[in-house]
Amino acid sequence: MDLSWLDDFLWTYQNVIHSVGINGLLALSMYVVLAVGQLSLGQAAFMGLGAYSAALMTLKLGWPFWMVLPLSCVVPILFALAIGLPTLRLSGVYLAIATVGLGEVLKALYVNIDYVGGALGLTGIPEATETWMIYGLLALAVLAFWLVARSGIGRAMEAIREDETAARVMGVSCFRYQLGALVVSAMLAGIAGALEAHSTSLISPGEFGFEPEVSILSFALLGGIGTPIGPVVGAFILTLLPELLRGMADLRLVFNGVIIVVAVLFMPEGLVALRLRRRSA
Amino acid sequence: MLAQQLVNGVLLGATYALFALGFTLMFGVLKVINLTYGFYFTAGAFAALFFTRYVVASVWLALPVAAIAAGIIAMACDGLLLTRLRRRGAPELSSLMVTVGAVLALNSAAAALFSPDIRRLPVGLVSVESFNFWGVRVTTAQFLVLGASIVLVGALIWLLRGTRVGVAIRAVAENPEAAGLMGINTGRTAALVSFVSGALAGAGGMLIGLNFNAIHPYMGEEMMLRGFVVVIVGGLGDIRGALIAGLMLGVVEVLTAGYIDSGMKEAVSFAILVLVLWTRPSGLFGAPKLRRA
Amino acid sequence: MKRRSFTLMAAASVLGVGVLPRISLAADTIPVGSIEVLTGPVSPYGIAIRDGETLALEEINAAGGVLGGKKIALTVEDSAANKDQAINAARKLIGRDKVVAIIGPTLSAEYFALAPMTNQRKVPVIGTSITSIGATDIGPFCFRTSLPEADVIPAALRKAMARGAKTIALLYANDDLFSKSSYDQMKVAAETAGLKIIDIETFATKDTDFSAQLTKVKGLKPDAIGIAALVEPTAGVLLQARQLGFGAETQFLGGNGANSPRLGEIAGAAADGIMVGSPWFIAKDTPQNKAFIAAFNRKYGKNPDQFAAQAYDTMHLLARAIDKAGAADPLKIRDALMQVKQDGVMGPLSFNAKRDPASAEGVLVLEMHAGKFSIAP
Repeated sequence: MDLSWLDDFLWTYQNVIHSVGINGLLALSMYVVLAVGQLSLGQAAFMGLGAYSAALMTLKLGWPFWMVLPLSCVVPILFALAIGLPTLRLSGVYLAIATVGLGEVLKALYVNIDYVGGALGLTGIPEATETWMIYGLLALAVLAFWLVARSGIGRAMEAIREDETAARVMGVSCFRYQLGALVVSAMLAGIAGALEAHSTSLISPGEFGFEPEVSILSFALLGGIGTPIGPVVGAFILTLLPELLRGMADLRLVFNGVIIVVAVLFMPEGLVALRLRRRSA
Repeated sequence: MLAQQLVNGVLLGATYALFALGFTLMFGVLKVINLTYGFYFTAGAFAALFFTRYVVASVWLALPVAAIAAGIIAMACDGLLLTRLRRRGAPELSSLMVTVGAVLALNSAAAALFSPDIRRLPVGLVSVESFNFWGVRVTTAQFLVLGASIVLVGALIWLLRGTRVGVAIRAVAENPEAAGLMGINTGRTAALVSFVSGALAGAGGMLIGLNFNAIHPYMGEEMMLRGFVVVIVGGLGDIRGALIAGLMLGVVEVLTAGYIDSGMKEAVSFAILVLVLWTRPSGLFGAPKLRRA
Repeated sequence: MKRRSFTLMAAASVLGVGVLPRISLAADTIPVGSIEVLTGPVSPYGIAIRDGETLALEEINAAGGVLGGKKIALTVEDSAANKDQAINAARKLIGRDKVVAIIGPTLSAEYFALAPMTNQRKVPVIGTSITSIGATDIGPFCFRTSLPEADVIPAALRKAMARGAKTIALLYANDDLFSKSSYDQMKVAAETAGLKIIDIETFATKDTDFSAQLTKVKGLKPDAIGIAALVEPTAGVLLQARQLGFGAETQFLGGNGANSPRLGEIAGAAADGIMVGSPWFIAKDTPQNKAFIAAFNRKYGKNPDQFAAQAYDTMHLLARAIDKAGAADPLKIRDALMQVKQDGVMGPLSFNAKRDPASAEGVLVLEMHAGKFSIAP
């Protein structure tokens, strides 16, 4: 069987295949925060921090990719702590507000610092991301979240999401779970950023703002947050759809926005309305 | 030069305060962070743009048109997006998420419909002359923004403190259930508050678009970051706090740009936001109260 | 391998089209690709470029095509000013459409994102609107026909100095690549020309309030002010500068972004007196330019701008190179591009050893009066 068309196909769609997987990771990073009843609008910003710090380690320090990839989550985690520690002690809207501005401010900072490339960003990043890394990490993350969701931690998370006050009365430390979730989420987004940076050869300041942020939320809500599979399915659909419907770029963002509205108002379980089966406690 | 910079700062701050006024009112009464607020601001500016271009080129007629148009849109958005959730007693994050999605859809649709080009109100709508006070220059449009802000704040305070409707609004803000039991129509009050907030946003959109000669579909989104900083620093739902915080932010930004580095403006506003969240999360002027002790 | 190819087939069937081996294009057409921003805020630039290159394409094909009667088949893809979409489009053009060369993309950031890949694949990419420093250094298959602003700005600076300017303040939008590279060139040009830079201020492209920066500049009393920004913020700066009392004693200079008829439309009288350097001007009195403007008006019912003119010249130059290469082979076309010369609407056009335009002869200085640009006296 002649498989040369497959090589062609792989080469032609390599960037699409990478985007699908990376968006899957981002959707999971949104899922883990939503799973504890919080809303973070800083996932794109965390991704940008991961992408920038990873690209700097590669370009300026010359470190190998196997070192850069795990280290790319350090800076996003620090930012998550700086924002999460004060806001998670307050009501849910504070985290959302503090994170929504993060992307805009980081953009202004990247633009003003010549060391990180100013308005152009960082160019000439070597291609080090392989397809198997993206999908391997994605599979690993889904598996890990699945196991966590079935465990006692998962039960506590669900309790917090359903009714925080009740959960606290039952002795669950909401703050610790929520901060933990935010840190894990920043970590995932950071790694997704590193993969993205080493998949395309350029990252620039404008890529991590409000619109990609809301798109990530639409992935998670389309898929539903009942299971970790849902957000990934949502990301797959919403990344491939615009590729199929070329020429509708103007309406893509409208569509993503409408999905969020419809999902919250009419199908809170999401498209993949799976419920987790758990061994009875 | 310092005098001119301070005046620049106060005038910029007045636009921030004007923008944040309706936003903080909406939160104070309806207890929801409504991100579509930025869209009402844009809608008011566009309503004024089309009105002055195709009907009458008059500021005094365009201002109420902008306010009423934006107020109606705000009422419609609230009815379609939030009433259902309010009745269901959904968590506050659901309402926030709905408005996040809605604002992305609305802004993108507006950009596709009107093109993202920057437009301006007709030249000569207000005199472009600037007045010179001992070397400090202020334009007619800037006087208009300042004057209108003062009038609108006065009207809002009168509405809340001096009328029966205001009593109902304040009762709903305090405790919706109790207000409902006392015979106040909470649904109608919510619609009214949406209308008033939207109208404030629309008037602000027109005045600020006039002042800066720039009307475009993303103008509301551009203001949102400042809007957040102002309402958090002033205290969520605190009208007086928002006014003071708005002026403060304007002055701080202008002084940063004038004396330190114009590139640091955004970073400074965000640093203030994070600082306030760490130290006085209920705002500079509110009593520090935490949800969890 | 088996399992891998199964998942790939599944992915392929999701993507639907393009899986079947494509019947090679009819042998009498030469596939050429173009990637431009056709949707979103930047689309006016991309659409102008598409219009310019499409007009040139029709002329080329009507005159008998290339390589002895073969027609050029142009596929224009939309990048929507999005890096990923630009890369996807380039991969599709090369992998599926088998194009021999790509014109575009519209933005420098897109160019930096896709050029390393196309260079590795050895397909020539010719930017028509790329002004950033270092763009063509990516590799031997990276070209541009747009003059880097290093060649455009000094002309305007010299004019200002001839009118008595000794000091200059620079204002630029630091979040936009086009504006930033314009500023970089202004700074270098001012230093080389001996014009003293007394202040540098920044703003963001979407900013509307420039009063703090302008007040500071006013205190320093420069003879000239250089504004490196796109047309809308340039207009905003000019309007506020007039409100703050800047008069005719201060000369205003614009970057390439200010070189648009929209400047007069937005800023009105506030823009009077601003000077820009331009590689092209609509009233340029050459036979090529007059024919181009007439043809453009016939086809689109409006006047072309500099982006359309640049794209029009580029398509003609590429056709010449394909002819010279003697085959629809990207490698030979690259070598031919290094040799071809043409006298187009922009003036003489050929590439230097760094694959940048070799000549800046066509540069003019324009000055605005009553909302319209004319050649500066």
